[in-house]
Amino acid sequence: MLDTLVFVTVLLPFLVAAVLLVLREQNMRKVILVATAGVLILASLAMLRGGAFILSPAASYDGLITLGDFVILFVVLFVGFKRKNQIILWLTAAQLVALFWFEFFTLKEHVPTPAFFADDLSLVMVLVVSIVGSLIAVYGIGYMREHEEHLHLPKSRQPRFFFFIVLFLGAMNGLVLANNLLWMYFFWECTTLCSFMLIGHDDTEIARKNSERALWMNVLGGTAFLFGVILLHKITGTLSLQEILARGPEFAVAGGAILAPMFLLVFAGMTKSAQAPFQSWLTGAMVAPTPVSALLHSSTMVKAGVYLIVRLAPIYAGTYFSNFVALFGAFCFLATAALAAGQSNGKKILAYSTISNLALIIACAGINTPAAITAAILLILFHAISKALLFLCVGAIEQKIGSRDIEDMRGLYSRMPRTTVVTLIGVLTMMLPPFGMLMAKWMAIESAHGQFLVMVMLALGSGLTVLFWCRWAGILLASPFGKPVPETQASSVRAPLYILATLAIFISLLSPVVYSYLVAPVVAMYYKTAPYTISFGNFDSTMGAFIIYPLFILLGLGGYFAVKQARKVTAAQIAAPYMCGEQLTVDGKAGFLGPLGQHVPATSSNYYLAQFFGEAMLSKWVNVIALAVLVIMLFGGAL
Amino acid sequence: MISTIILAILALVLAPLAGALITGVDRRITAWLQSRYGPPILQPMYDVLKLLGKEPRVVNTWQALCAYVYVVGAALSVVLLFTGADLLLLFFVLTVGAVFLVMGALASPSPYSQIGGQRELLQMLAYEPLLILVFAAIATVTGSFKVSAVFELSRPLLYDIPLMYIVLGYALTIKLRKSPFDISASQHAHQELVRGVYTEYSGPFLAMIEIAHWYEVVLVLGLCGLFWSTGVVGMIVLVAVTYLAEIIVDNVTARLTWHFMLKSAIGTGVALTVVNMIWLYAQ
Repeated sequence: MLDTLVFVTVLLPFLVAAVLLVLREQNMRKVILVATAGVLILASLAMLRGGAFILSPAASYDGLITLGDFVILFVVLFVGFKRKNQIILWLTAAQLVALFWFEFFTLKEHVPTPAFFADDLSLVMVLVVSIVGSLIAVYGIGYMREHEEHLHLPKSRQPRFFFFIVLFLGAMNGLVLANNLLWMYFFWECTTLCSFMLIGHDDTEIARKNSERALWMNVLGGTAFLFGVILLHKITGTLSLQEILARGPEFAVAGGAILAPMFLLVFAGMTKSAQAPFQSWLTGAMVAPTPVSALLHSSTMVKAGVYLIVRLAPIYAGTYFSNFVALFGAFCFLATAALAAGQSNGKKILAYSTISNLALIIACAGINTPAAITAAILLILFHAISKALLFLCVGAIEQKIGSRDIEDMRGLYSRMPRTTVVTLIGVLTMMLPPFGMLMAKWMAIESAHGQFLVMVMLALGSGLTVLFWCRWAGILLASPFGKPVPETQASSVRAPLYILATLAIFISLLSPVVYSYLVAPVVAMYYKTAPYTISFGNFDSTMGAFIIYPLFILLGLGGYFAVKQARKVTAAQIAAPYMCGEQLTVDGKAGFLGPLGQHVPATSSNYYLAQFFGEAMLSKWVNVIALAVLVIMLFGGAL
Repeated sequence: MISTIILAILALVLAPLAGALITGVDRRITAWLQSRYGPPILQPMYDVLKLLGKEPRVVNTWQALCAYVYVVGAALSVVLLFTGADLLLLFFVLTVGAVFLVMGALASPSPYSQIGGQRELLQMLAYEPLLILVFAAIATVTGSFKVSAVFELSRPLLYDIPLMYIVLGYALTIKLRKSPFDISASQHAHQELVRGVYTEYSGPFLAMIEIAHWYEVVLVLGLCGLFWSTGVVGMIVLVAVTYLAEIIVDNVTARLTWHFMLKSAIGTGVALTVVNMIWLYAQ
């Protein structure tokens, strides 16, 4: 049974991907994609029911993985040659040499290492990848059809597109289930390659440029990963992640040595999660079709980075290094929230907000208390759902109105009522109680309070977060009174939106259950103490209490009452917007009565405060400071 | 459990009444400072009762919704304060109300309302981090973010974190939109933005916003009261002196720009916090 489940979640996507690559028939593709999504979702749920496990597939697979490693490295090397990118070339060459030496000379006597192991953290990740990722793949069906209609391609490129999308899901599942670090390295490289191919999918000038940047940054991370693994093997004598975690305290006592590979691995995680100074690859990735952005930002790729950092957290708990990780995370959280506040491009806001939330997860891993790790895991889960939802919404909006600028979404409710409400749910679940994201943020801030600088940055960052979400939500509503036009939308686009919106609310409602059954056991496994007790479904500890159900009930009742009151508004009660008594509305566009009776439309825009939050203003400094923190982190041990 | 529910209901009912009275006194003192006679103490209540009886007028349905959610958020945060809940949670619930107030303002194309909404966001950006810092400082002293933990202290918070009280005062001046930070909307009729973030609200919806404001006044003064948790008399004196100071500042200062507000609030707030925390750790 277990074999089958791991096969379905990891290997099946690889096989399906291969089929999709050669299949050119549209309807068959649709059926296969929906069926794969269904199977993946069911398999991930079944795996969750089964609980923790260890699995060693036949030894021949080890050889296959090694072969796969070299194939990927040669493909990347080839790309480096073709693009004449020195960084990619040299880094890949270094990886090839190191891997060759490691595989064939160092690992001579073969110690059997289980390839897969899963605890609740892995299982949560598999759920996120399989459910959110599959929904995005389904959304891709409708989206890509319309996308290619716009482009007037002579020959559909969808086989290639879905090949990499589905491959991505398999690779991510493999990554989070991997126990043997070399297996993890293979899947890690797979995701790098997939993201490169998908970012460059449209093959425009800018897509090529941005995909190349994504590649070199991730190859840098991949190199750090490989060297980290080799170094870790040298120190611990094993490649089994589970064994390293189990013996964690022993290494922590031994002191400094373990921190060098930890730094390399955490650094690899930071590049994958697009932390400063590597944030530009993720913001550049939005040139790709929307399902790609949604996938990269929510359930795959960037989550691999934070997964690794959270996974390793128990090993570096209580070290100076951990404090620096917290500091780095908190700084990136603040800096990228500020960058998000300066953007009017909807996808860029989402991108910076993703980086900001990932940074918060990293900060939690660095704070490294049971409560903070709980916050990190919950953030991974809730962020994946809400962020996927928001990306899919922006994609749907962009295809309809032809712009991703939030200024163009003013009064969207009158044009796309359903999508607007779903977007609103996405935004509110990102920033307000009683939803899961905010609860996790509450845990993060309360557990940070011992580290003063970290807390100051978290406080400032959360203020900025509210700023950029709130105004986006607000301007969507600036629509005149009246029945909005009914909205048409492909069912493969609409269904994922509805399902994700429902999940965003429903899983928040279930958060005490999620905590008790999924998060608390894994935290207790590595940290000995449980951070919260659950009484009547409310989170309680000596530090604080988060009363979920009373809040849900009271805010829910309040919201219901408010909606009921709002429904009572009739057409006769509608007033023209206030224009100082000089209003003149022409064609439904509100404005002023100008000289000679002319109509002067009223236009307004958000404050983007480019002098504070503009990319040109901030990016350079953010990168310099982030780099400085990284360098101090690296050499801090010597002090 | 039962006592919590009773406290919650008391807070829900008494807080707006207290808020109305305090606002009435505020108006009288302000009038006195400006050599006017001023309205009766109960005038804010008369105003709201009259507003409630008026015919509702809104630009669109969303505004009506937002006005009601604003009251719900404000009322709920007062309830959380009086039932001894988590300070940070209370703050987040307060944010729910604030966010919906701004969303309501942004839902109208009127430029006055739009700019008011944007400025209100900047005000939030200025006071939110300060409040989190104050709450974290309180948690450093009490070892918990729960309001109930404050009442287990043997000596008032003011002794340990006096500078945080100033930070709180700064944040609260911005939160209550008192001059010099009445940037997004002013209680007084002398603003270039008409009523800024409130512009589009009238009749019963404006009444809702007034009631939400009463709740917020009580919340704010309740937070100040936490700094003298060991005796009722001391608490009342502290709150009264603080509010009097707020009124005087409101009357003697002119409105500042949001640039100044943002820089001074964050700058002063963080600096005072750092000094206070170092002092606290050194003790």
